[in-house]
Amino acid sequence: MHLAWLELRDFRSYESLDFRPDPGVNVLVGHNGAGKTNVLEAIGYLSALRSFRGSPDAALIRSGTPAGIVRGGFERESGEVRVEVEIPEGGRRRVLFNGKRPQRFSDVARELPLVAFLPDDLDLLKGGPGGRRQYIDDLIARLHPAAGADLAEYDKALRQRNSLLRNEGPAADALTIDVWDDRLADLGSRVFTHRLRLLDRIAPVLAASYRTVGGSEELTFTYTTQWMGAAGKGTSRDPGDHIDAIRDALSARRMRDLDQKTTTLGPHRDDPGIRIDDRDARTQASQGEQRSAALGLRIAAYRALENRHDRPPMLLLDDVFSELDPLRAGGVLELLPKGQVFVTTARDDEVPVAGRRWAVRGGVVT
Amino acid sequence: MFEAPVQRLIDELARLPGIGRKSAQRLAFHLLHIEEADAVRLGSSIIDLRREVRLCSRCFNVTSDEECSICRDLRRDPTVLCVVERAQDIPVIEGTQEFSGRYHVLGGAISPIEGIGPDQLRMRELVARIDQEGVAEVIAATNPTVEGDATALYLARLLKPLGVRVTQLASGLPVGGDLDYADEVTLGRALVGRQEL
Ligand SMILES: [Zn+2]
Repeated sequence: MHLAWLELRDFRSYESLDFRPDPGVNVLVGHNGAGKTNVLEAIGYLSALRSFRGSPDAALIRSGTPAGIVRGGFERESGEVRVEVEIPEGGRRRVLFNGKRPQRFSDVARELPLVAFLPDDLDLLKGGPGGRRQYIDDLIARLHPAAGADLAEYDKALRQRNSLLRNEGPAADALTIDVWDDRLADLGSRVFTHRLRLLDRIAPVLAASYRTVGGSEELTFTYTTQWMGAAGKGTSRDPGDHIDAIRDALSARRMRDLDQKTTTLGPHRDDPGIRIDDRDARTQASQGEQRSAALGLRIAAYRALENRHDRPPMLLLDDVFSELDPLRAGGVLELLPKGQVFVTTARDDEVPVAGRRWAVRGGVVT
Repeated sequence: MFEAPVQRLIDELARLPGIGRKSAQRLAFHLLHIEEADAVRLGSSIIDLRREVRLCSRCFNVTSDEECSICRDLRRDPTVLCVVERAQDIPVIEGTQEFSGRYHVLGGAISPIEGIGPDQLRMRELVARIDQEGVAEVIAATNPTVEGDATALYLARLLKPLGVRVTQLASGLPVGGDLDYADEVTLGRALVGRQEL
């Protein structure tokens, strides 16, 4: 599968862009701020339906215009798959998948497997738990559609409960909070077990991926919660087994949640971690080890998606090579010859691969 | 911007659910070319709707009388109530021919994000009917969404202490959808296989 065409209207810095990339390797060369990453962001948006920079939708609209539009056509053996998104200023975005509204957004992500390597991937290791949860949840949604639906429903129930706490505070109707606690406990137990199962599945892939970028140590996952402590091998993977624990923890926290007007505990606050030879990768690893582990995480995601779909995912490499030594770059390059690839760089000679070169300047890609 | 009468119609049409700016323009320009008699018929049917249709004083279904035809039908079982979010869900459930009780229209689902809590729904009216009509079972036929499920759970917590059996449509409905998208067979099975809450 590959992206055959991309159209942008009033998206980020682009007033209008019609881009017909090569099915193989595409290298976008341009100065910083020329708009290379915006093109990658748009391609990523068509698959994940959110910005890989974590930007809110409103930030994607070219300033001073009423709506941004991203459209793209992907070619597969079975024909073209089209994704179209219109993001109006201050309104609800409209998503069309082959001309129809998709049942769930994760349906789109599942159909269009894609992995992005980003300049701040090091934050997966150095940063807080949010980035690691996002990494895990994104893979779950791409690998297991039903589990992806559970994640989306948990998120929705959480936003509803938080909205109730924020609007009503301590005056909130106790029976209504009970109901949202029930929903959060039921969906949260599923989210928790989906995550543990994903980590079980991806742990050996991660260990192997880490070695391809020069790591020689043992890389392992940990998973810590505030509502039951640390999860391990002996923790049940049955989605029905943690409902009571989450509900009890929520009710024990009720007063504090009412006071802080938000849900202070649950899978949305869990902390997945990584250990390198029994050291915490966040605080006790070298910069080099962290960089290898971050690459390992992305490569593992690529491998997992490749296995699931029996075809290579699309690959986005945003200004990745400037930071890599030849050994680590080699690990990434191993992925290149398979599927469609988009690489951005400020310096053409920095990217050690053949492929179609595109110059990005002044809002045009030629 | 168009001539004032055209623009006014576009603005009105665009306020309807499921109609965006572009569809509103298309409809307005279509209406511009229809026969005057057709235009009058369309306009007066909208006005008649407002004048002649009101909500059933018992179940809040749409009706042209004080009570709707279902509430007035003495053959229907008053001890079983099917609680739905909106009046348009009633014909969908009627279409399954699996239900012979009465209905209660809540007027929505619990959704704090939209400022909708139990007080914004017809919960008090529902509780009043339990005693008045001797209701023994309430079927929560809310939509299979996060908000619909929460509303069903709320009904269970509210009504069980009153000695009412509360059941929910069996799963099998498309998740995240509306009842009126479910086909009659699926919905009929969900009614027959309803589960205790
Ligand atoms: Zn009635």
